[in-house]
Amino acid sequence: MNRVSSLRVASPQTSRGSPLARIAALAAFVALFVQACVGVHARPQDLLTGAHGMADILARAMPPDFSQFDASLTPILETIDLAVFGTVFAVLLAFPLALLAAANVSPARPLYYIARSIIGITRAVPDLVWALLFVTAVGLGPFPGALALGLHSVGMLGRLFAEVIEDMEMGPVEALTLTGASRMQVFTHAVVPGVLPTLLGISLFRFDENLRSSLVLGFVGAGGIGFELLTAMNLFQYRTVSFLLIVTFVLVIAAERGSAYLRSRVQ
Amino acid sequence: MSTLHTVVALGPAPDSERGAVPGGADRAMLRGVQADVRLAVRGLTMRYPNGHTALHNVNLTVHAGEMVVILGSNGCGKSTLMKCVVGLNRPTGGSVEAGGRDLAALTGQPLRVARMSVALISQHANLVKRRSVLANVCTGALGRHRTWSTMFGCVPKSEIEPARGYLDEVGLLPLAAQRAGTLSGGQAQRVAVARALAQRPEVVLADEPVASLDPEAADEVMRLLRRLATDDQLAVVCVLPQPELATRYADRLIGMRGGRIEFDERASSVSMQQISNLYVSETS
Repeated sequence: MNRVSSLRVASPQTSRGSPLARIAALAAFVALFVQACVGVHARPQDLLTGAHGMADILARAMPPDFSQFDASLTPILETIDLAVFGTVFAVLLAFPLALLAAANVSPARPLYYIARSIIGITRAVPDLVWALLFVTAVGLGPFPGALALGLHSVGMLGRLFAEVIEDMEMGPVEALTLTGASRMQVFTHAVVPGVLPTLLGISLFRFDENLRSSLVLGFVGAGGIGFELLTAMNLFQYRTVSFLLIVTFVLVIAAERGSAYLRSRVQ
Repeated sequence: MSTLHTVVALGPAPDSERGAVPGGADRAMLRGVQADVRLAVRGLTMRYPNGHTALHNVNLTVHAGEMVVILGSNGCGKSTLMKCVVGLNRPTGGSVEAGGRDLAALTGQPLRVARMSVALISQHANLVKRRSVLANVCTGALGRHRTWSTMFGCVPKSEIEPARGYLDEVGLLPLAAQRAGTLSGGQAQRVAVARALAQRPEVVLADEPVASLDPEAADEVMRLLRRLATDDQLAVVCVLPQPELATRYADRLIGMRGGRIEFDERASSVSMQQISNLYVSETS
């Protein structure tokens, strides 16, 4: 009966309130959007009058300079390497952290809080900030970028991994514990097979995200295609820019499709 | 100690179903006083921190080759009893002796070792769905092997042949290579029985093992449990909500009500009135 009555309370008729309240809600939303327009100094007229500037750049970017293909192979590889390093580094650190940060398998309460704090901090600080921090330590180049991607991903993956572990089916874990299996045996025979496919799927998705992030990190000197893009823009080589944008597009789409395919295979 | 008397007084098999597995109950009866006690629960009391007492001084003895069914309404303490026996719940008083040890007094590594002598089959098969049926059966034997030799999900080679034998026993050998997640409810429960056998226990507990199965699959699982007692000489304790199944398969029936044992008699001598009384609300 409780369930039925709660459904009734949640029905569209009663939850949206009176027409006056709806108008007030709409007005509040419009006010919020107007405030946002003022906040970003939105000037649509400038966009129209300045359109010829954009058209000029686009014209100068055509046709894309495909002769740069050979020269861009190394930066392409560097971008992929950044994502690979960042993802593997993150998975290796995030998995043990997630085991400590999952309430149902965490061995001790203090460890749970420590792990949750590490995950929170690494996740809250954006990869760009981590990159700037590591540049001051190890200098410019791909390494600080890779470290930044890895550390930020530790937080992102750690939290998702911990949630997957918390949501897993505890039946097999209990069943194996009762057969007299050791803690480690229960972990390798019941916990890991239960969560592995989901964790692999999340990691592949993270690789896809890291590939896109590594392009942005290139702008702050972490190498790869991002750095080449920034250099070409600074030198007004717009045909190179358009070529690099095409490469970026292909890379991002390939990573997205590739990780989607692999995720469908591991499920 | 009345429990011991009832075992001694075990009569002939009460129905035709028992006849399908010849000799089981009769053998148990013939052994009489000499029958091996495999599980002895003495004075078991379970009081929760909120003051609710789920078990009041429960005494229960089960012998090798005997199948005991515990009957009772929801909340009568039958599942709590199962959990106390396997060490999932720590009783506030009494002892649970199996495999020569008192499980209620043990913790940590000694409890882990002692648990091997008692297998529990729950309402849900609790198989690892992504692994093969055979691998699931092998996991029942993990407790006998060192942790390092079973790392990364490896199953000990020496357990594979016996596991195939247990699968054959439950009639599912042809499905050994199949993923456990693809099995039907009845098949999964039979694999859970095979996993329990791989544990090589002396006592098999089954907590409402057929609750989520259709009548045909339920019968199959019950026949299997009956065979474990008759052929493998295991002590089988089964919690069942269905009196009809209980009277068909059990050597002995135990009725529980309000955390106490109301009767503990051979199946053929329990009247329907005694069983119905178990399901009458205590307040009415």
